[in-house]
Amino acid sequence: MKTLPKWIRDRLFLFSVVIPTALAFLYYGFIAADVYISESRFVVRSPERQTTSPLGLILKGAGISRAQDDAFVVQDYILSRDAMLTLEKELGIKSAYSRPNGDFLGRFPGLDWDDSLENFYRYYQKVVAVQLDPSSSIATLTVRAFTAEEAQKINQRLLDHAEELVNRLNKRAQEDMIRFAENEVAKAEAKARQAALALADYRNRENVINPEQQAVIPLQQIAKLQEELINTQTQIAQLEQLARNNPQLPVLRKQAEMLKAEIERVSANIAGAVDKSLASKSAEFQRLALEKEFADKMLASAMSSLELARNEAQRQQLYLEHISAPSFPDAAMEPRRVRNILAVFLMGLVMWGVLSLTVAAVKEHVD
Amino acid sequence: MSAVLPEQKLVRSLRIQARVIGALLMREIITRYGRHNIGFLWLFVEPMMFTLGVLALWTALGLHKVVLPIVAFTLSGYASVLLWRNTINRCGNAVEPNRALMHHRNVRIIDLYVSRIILEISGASISFLILSVVFMATGLVGMPDDLLKILIAWFLLAWFSLDMALIIGSLSVLSESVDRIWHVVSYLFLPLSGAFFMVDWLPTYAQELVLWIPTVNCTELLREGLFGNLVRAHYSVGYVVLVNMLLLLPGLLLVRYVGLHLEGE
Repeated sequence: MKTLPKWIRDRLFLFSVVIPTALAFLYYGFIAADVYISESRFVVRSPERQTTSPLGLILKGAGISRAQDDAFVVQDYILSRDAMLTLEKELGIKSAYSRPNGDFLGRFPGLDWDDSLENFYRYYQKVVAVQLDPSSSIATLTVRAFTAEEAQKINQRLLDHAEELVNRLNKRAQEDMIRFAENEVAKAEAKARQAALALADYRNRENVINPEQQAVIPLQQIAKLQEELINTQTQIAQLEQLARNNPQLPVLRKQAEMLKAEIERVSANIAGAVDKSLASKSAEFQRLALEKEFADKMLASAMSSLELARNEAQRQQLYLEHISAPSFPDAAMEPRRVRNILAVFLMGLVMWGVLSLTVAAVKEHVD
Repeated sequence: MSAVLPEQKLVRSLRIQARVIGALLMREIITRYGRHNIGFLWLFVEPMMFTLGVLALWTALGLHKVVLPIVAFTLSGYASVLLWRNTINRCGNAVEPNRALMHHRNVRIIDLYVSRIILEISGASISFLILSVVFMATGLVGMPDDLLKILIAWFLLAWFSLDMALIIGSLSVLSESVDRIWHVVSYLFLPLSGAFFMVDWLPTYAQELVLWIPTVNCTELLREGLFGNLVRAHYSVGYVVLVNMLLLLPGLLLVRYVGLHLEGE
């Protein structure tokens, strides 16, 4: 013992530096299992979205806007219990991480006894990481595992599921958009059909095609009859002054009367108190015709908005684009053995410094 | 003659030191708060006035309907500022008024610092505790979400204050300008200390920068303890422990150096 230098015999030094460093050396040198890291990169893209608010524009100009909320969705999904449970069902990752090729500290459940899925979820969040680069919105997915194959396989499956999620979101959004437009079209169609039927029904019932056009001919008739009536009345007036006893006079008088009666009859057909008059039919006809026209226009606009919705849905697709596929690590990058041993050693030194200074400060007090 | 074991000697020294610090503590309480005026009560009245003032200001501006309970937010922020600022400031001038006491062999310079640090930390803690209880009783502050997180955050912040107090305290003995510079720095540091903002409110690139500051990590943890899931806190306890550990070493070294330096005079 005497031959050893004083700083080794110092018990503080032993406990704060020598023992921790030795333990770290033992663990990292001989026990700690290799950890392989598989990395993949992807980006979630959506076609340019217009920023609506002026504040948003300003923020975007200042580079503060949190672009790509959609990437957060994917990140959240990958780190969710859902993703973990899916992987557990497909690959049995819980038992894969509990296999003895991991060391007793690194594997699941480590020093814990609790091997529930909830506890595994906490472990899962340690081995799977998604990092979002806020400026480029590129996401990096890293998976740690005790073998290279597993790391790559888990990474690949997670990426596939993330893509499925994006597709599902797309499909849902599209369906919602298009279904709404289609509903509108169906409603407009029904209305247009109903209006057309009502109009046809009316035509059949009332024996009329278009009262206003049909009124043109009787009106011309009336004009002609009136002309004739005026002629006849002029003749009558002439004869009454020049030849009172002309035998033609009673004939002309009769003719005038007949003409008057005819005019009355025809005009009653067009407009009159009678239900059958074209004028009384015109009001109802106009209403039905207007309704039909309106329904047709509605249908046309619904059709065009359906077309628009289809285009929009196509345009607003989210894409999960792979930048780099899950890598197959050919060497274990973790644990960083020398670095960790060194860190423990340095921390031990700091600890030792603090402790020995404290002890020295206490020792300054003597009787 | 029986040899005295080193452990026994250490325990004996510790006992003496505890008595010295205890005596210094009593002296500090009287000089710090005095017997006139409301004395000790200033410890609570000061932060209470500040919190109420901020509350009035926010209410007048109509901003009190924000997501966070503003009283609890202000109180926790001011209390943490009070903790590190008072502790560090009070050590800047710890030696000079107690110079005469240094003639006693067992009054070491570290005892002066430790007694002041203990006094300030416990003062700030008691003030935070009592104000929280008062505000909770009046319903201005809700029940905390996780008491353990609050305690850990408070402990880490107190530890950080201790490190900084030792460093600033001993440096200001060596050079008077350090004390003055520190006062300026502490004002500049005030808005950065995390007392009046949440990291989540900042843009991402600023978040990373601001999380290098240990006090920000502490206040984040403190607020997570207070508000739970209402806030999204960013912090790393490991980082704060590391920084505190690393700062403690130069602190103790400087105190030791100052002790030798003063004795040499």
